[in-house]
Order: sequence, then structure tokens, then C-alpha cells
Amino acid sequence: MSNEASIHGAGEHAAQREFELEVRAQDMEVNFGPQHPATHGVMRVLVRSDGEVVTGAQAHLGYLHRCAEKIGENVEWLMYLPYTDRYDYLSAMNNNLGYSMAVESLMGIRIPRRAELLRVICVELNRVGSHLIAFGTYGMDVGAMTPFFHCFREREWMMALFEKICGARLTYSYIRIGGLFNDAPPGWLEEVARFCDVFEERWVEYEQLLLSSHIFIQRTAGVGVLSREMALAFGVTGPMLRASGVDWDLRRDMPYSIYAEIFAAGAFKVPLGSGAKGKLGDCWDRTWVRVMEMRESIGIVRWCLAHMVEGPVVGDLPKVLRVPAGESYVAIENPRGELGHYVVSDGGRGSIRTRVRGPSFSNLAVIEELLPGALVGDAIAIIGSIDIVVGETDR
Amino acid sequence: MGIVEHSFEDNVLTTKVDWLVNWARLSSVWPLTFGLACCAMEMMAVGAAHHDIDRFGAGAFRATPRQADLMIVAGTVNFKMAERIQRLYDQMASPRYVIAMGACATGGGPYHKFGYTVVKGVDRVIPVDVYIAGCPPRPEALLEGLMKLQEKIRAAHVIRKPALPA
Amino acid sequence: MDFTGIHDRLSLIRAPGLLGADLPRKADPANKSLRARAGGPFVSVEAALLPQFLRVCRDDPRLCFEMLVDISATDPSKSATELWVNVSLLSVSARQRLQIKSSVPKQAPRLPTCSGVYPAANWHERECAEMFGLVFEGHPDPRHILLPEDWIGHPLRKDYEYPKTYHGISCE
Repeated sequence: MSNEASIHGAGEHAAQREFELEVRAQDMEVNFGPQHPATHGVMRVLVRSDGEVVTGAQAHLGYLHRCAEKIGENVEWLMYLPYTDRYDYLSAMNNNLGYSMAVESLMGIRIPRRAELLRVICVELNRVGSHLIAFGTYGMDVGAMTPFFHCFREREWMMALFEKICGARLTYSYIRIGGLFNDAPPGWLEEVARFCDVFEERWVEYEQLLLSSHIFIQRTAGVGVLSREMALAFGVTGPMLRASGVDWDLRRDMPYSIYAEIFAAGAFKVPLGSGAKGKLGDCWDRTWVRVMEMRESIGIVRWCLAHMVEGPVVGDLPKVLRVPAGESYVAIENPRGELGHYVVSDGGRGSIRTRVRGPSFSNLAVIEELLPGALVGDAIAIIGSIDIVVGETDR
Repeated sequence: MGIVEHSFEDNVLTTKVDWLVNWARLSSVWPLTFGLACCAMEMMAVGAAHHDIDRFGAGAFRATPRQADLMIVAGTVNFKMAERIQRLYDQMASPRYVIAMGACATGGGPYHKFGYTVVKGVDRVIPVDVYIAGCPPRPEALLEGLMKLQEKIRAAHVIRKPALPA
Repeated sequence: MDFTGIHDRLSLIRAPGLLGADLPRKADPANKSLRARAGGPFVSVEAALLPQFLRVCRDDPRLCFEMLVDISATDPSKSATELWVNVSLLSVSARQRLQIKSSVPKQAPRLPTCSGVYPAANWHERECAEMFGLVFEGHPDPRHILLPEDWIGHPLRKDYEYPKTYHGISCE
């Protein structure tokens, strides 16, 4: 774009002289990433800005494309499980669960009760861990260093719990087709109960540290407002959708595993954004929904601990797993939204198509609509509030 | 070090100078914030309070490669990213070090066989000083890798002539 | 929700392009027939009329599918002559899913874009296009999304050959 400005200089002497200066001003293109402290991984956003105001944004993905879907076609059913850990590495238990459930739906097997309860405990603890990182790194993005360290304190404990049960801190491969990898060691359930107690006390800190902080509210309230219609049109799911006022949570509305029972017992509610500090669907609402969800997850874990039973946890599976022919799409509620696994089997030792519908991929599509009109500093706040994990965006 | 680099023979004075320079360098290796994938989470855990990387002097993560000494390649490198890694490495000022953290950066990791866009090891793109195994490596493993890098720096010849190959 | 109910509703509304439901797909010359098992009700739709069908799904008050969840494609085998396309819809108000299956021939994999109906389709179609070679006619932005711009070949096809080098870096 070029603006022509003509400057007329009228000197005292002589006739009017017209100085025409052609001043060319054009929008500046700034590259966010792929190496950037605030893009939550390797993502590139090409931002066109007119001074401080963003006039256009374009997301470039693929910097972490790791061919998960091609690998799904080439390895056996159970061998694919470690790859599921790695696309959304912050909520690996959820990914394992999604894939296992998709394959189990084709096989039509029942999961033992104790396995279901332990699955839900692990998945909800992982949800807490994932939201802790989302919250802590979002604080870092907008300038608050301290919540990050507080969040990692809880997260270390959570990871130690998972290490006791399955041996890994981050990529678990614990929830397997037909059940679990192994049973919880003695004393583990008591430690989880202790974790729940301590976490509920510390949860108040997160609210005080960041959510009520005047600076945080000024940076996030009213920023990046995602309307209900746009959220539905772009296929946004998860906390982003709930923050925009759409009351939709797969755990309650299309329940899987034992969530129908847990919800019927009143063990959890679904937090819904309300525009408390600014507008409905702004960044503050999204952060608030995540913080509230952490507390609800602890409630679910407590219910499962209270109703724990003894029994087998490993399903009855043949040595070489052959899944009957068919197609199946099963979706679960990831900390980021709807994680869907679409598997196609032809009766062989591996799938012929494993499609992963990652929530971050669809959630990210809205930034091309949300960023224009915002300030450059707000662009960081908006990108951070979407809470993407690039492993899932790119698979 | 410019003109005095690799210029002097080994003697008691130059050894002491080298010791001092190396001590200064290894005690303040500032990494680049370069987490790519899952290993980045363990790198963040190392930066957090429980496994504190700041006690090694390496706690000041710099966002720009021009101010960083160390690039910890934490995660899978694919072809699209490899060109950017090359550019970032070129932008780092000497002395610069690279740690390949995790199985993916070391040799392609679990994506070695069927990953069509995965570079099988970041050492195909940039020279690597220390490799750390694990998927993801524990934070303690990353700290041990850092300590190994510090040993490497400690043994470096800065103003002395380079050591003869063994 | 009732499996046959949605198909009856779609037939009543005369949704364009509707071919049927619960159709077994023939997978391979090895005669393993594939029947959709789980994931909610599914219908088969003609590929050329897909956007009109989706528009009816979205706008008709008896159906009310507000959200497009996924568009993906499948290459059943090296010898198969068709690529399968799967569109997954979700109705938040009716709590229902619908899987829409289509096929396009591998020799001429063209079908119209759905991004005019659901903006969510934009990025999903870009991914299908680069992975399978599907051409979505009328797509506003048909660039590569996950693969590098100059990548040759369509990786998720069964006859894809892995490259030997890329920009000087060995792939072996």
C-alpha cells in the first residue's frame, strides 16, 4: 500500500513552491517463529501489521510434521501406541485412551472395571498437568514468570506419580488396547489422594497469582474475543469453545468410558465462560475455564478413588492382535478439545488408515480471523490462549 | 579470541589463562530457547525449580541465537525445520555448542523408519557436541549432558595450540 | 441416537447427493468387505454434490449439524481404484455425529470444496490435498500446509516412494 503525501512549502520569498514528496508507507510483515519463545513450539505466524495494529495473519505449519498417519499404516496395532503419546505430548494418557478406544470399538471388547477407573484417574491427572503447563506458559507469555514455577512444582509431583505407575514421566504408553499396561503399585492410590488434597489448597494460589492479577486482566480481558458462531463454524472444541459460551463437553454430552456414571453422581460440572472480566469468549475466559477444569478433574479423581474396586486390569488379548474389518471414529475430550481417531481395518495386523483429528489443528484455524485488528502484543496473548501443542497440529 | 587463539605453546602461564577462560565459559553456557517437541517439556522441567539448571549457570535462556552459547536441539527435526536450524546455527556467535537431546535429534528417534519428512539426526545439518539418549531423556540426563559439555569445554585449548589428534 | 432415524430424515428432506447408508464397501480384490461399525450413523454421498449436502445438514432445522469436525481421505490399497473421503459432522444441539462417506476415482481425484459451507473445512482440505493428491475445486488457498512447499509426491498414498535426498540432506 502506498500513501502519497504532498507537502506544500510556502516560503516567504517568491512564489509558492510545491514540494511533492512521495512518502511510501506499507504494512510491515513480521515473522513470529518458527523459533520464538511464545509460539508454544515450532509454529510460524506471518503477521502483517500497520504500526502496532495487526492487519493480517497467516499461519504456517508443518515444522513438526512427523508422519504419524503414515506410520499408523505401517506398524502393528499395539506398536502404534508410543506414537500416540507423542503427538499431544502434554496429555499423552488422553491420546493413548483415544486410540485404544477406537481400536476397542472395532473389536467390541469390554474393559475390566478397575481398568476403567484407573484409566479415568490417569486421564484426569494428565488433564491437570496439561492445564498447568498451559496456564504457566501463558503467564510467561504475557510477562509473569512466577506462576510457571508454581505450576511445575505440582507437575513434578504428577509426573512422579505417573513414573511410579508406568515408568515414564512424559510419554506413557500406559493405557493400552484392552486395558492397561500393569496395575497400580501398592500405596499409589493413597498418594493420589494426598496429591488431590494438596492440589486443592494450592489451586487457590493459581487463582490469586494470575487470574485476579490486575495486569493479567488488563492484558487478556476483552482481547481475542471468539464469538459462538465463529467457534462452531471453525470446528473449535474444548476449553476454547466453552469459553465462548457453548456448553459442550464430550465427557458429559457424548460420554465414553465411565463418565456417564461419574456425571450422574454429580462429581463434576462443566465450567462455562461468562465474560466475567471483559467480553464473553476473550482470553481471560479461556484461562479461567482451564483453571476451573483443573479443580473439576480433581473431583473426578476423588470419585474414582472412592469407588475403586479390585480386579484385573489387563485385557484378554491374543499375542498377535488382529482387529476385525471395519471403520471407526471415536472421539474423546482432550485437554485441548475433541481428539478423534478414525481407524480403518481390513482384518490384518495393522491398520490401513489411522487418521488423527487433533483439536489444536482446528482450534488454530481461528487465529487468521482473531488476529487482525489486535495489537501486536495482544497477538501473543491470543496465540497463547488458544493453547496449541504443535505436535498435535502437525502430527 | 581473535588473534591470540591457538597461538601459544603449552606452558604454566597459558595453561592458567586457558583454565580461566574455560571456567568462565562453562559456568555461563546460555542456551537458546529451542524446544521443538516433547523433549522441550523435559527441558522446561530442567529450567523449573525442581531440577534447576541455573545452578550450572545455564539458566538464562536467550530467545535470540545471537546472544546464546548453546543450542539444545530438543525434539524431532524435519526438513522444513532443518533449514531454519541451519540459519539459527549460523547466527550463533563462536564459541557455540550444540546438544542433541533425545532420540529424535540423535538419530531420528521412533520416526526413523517411516518418517518421510524427518531428518535422521540433527548432525546431518549442524555439528553436534553432546548426544543425549532417551525418549524423552529425564531432566537428570539433560543435566548430565550439560555436565559432559562442561567437561568438553574444560579440556579445550583456547590460546594454546590445539592438541594433537590421538 | 437412532441409526436409521437420521437416514430417514435425510431422505425425507431430499438431501442432494444422498446415495444410501450402511453400504458395505468392497476393500480389496482379496474380498474382505468393510462395513462401518462404530462412530455413529453414516451415509454415502456423491462426491460432486458434497457441498450441497453439507449445506442441507447445516441449515435444515431438523438436522442442525453446526460443526464440521474432520475431513479425511483413505487410500484403501495399492490396487484400489478409488480414494475414500470421510467427512465427520457434529450436532451440538442434537448431540449427534454423522459420518459422510464419498469416493473419488484415483485417476481423476476432483471434488468441490466445502469451505464455503464450513470454514473449518479449509485447513482439512489442504491437508487431504497434499497427502492424497485430491483436488478440491474452488478452494481459496490450495497451498501445502504440513509438507514443505516443494515436496514431491503424495505421502499417504499406498504407492508413495520415499525420497532419497531433500535439499542436500540425505533421507536414508
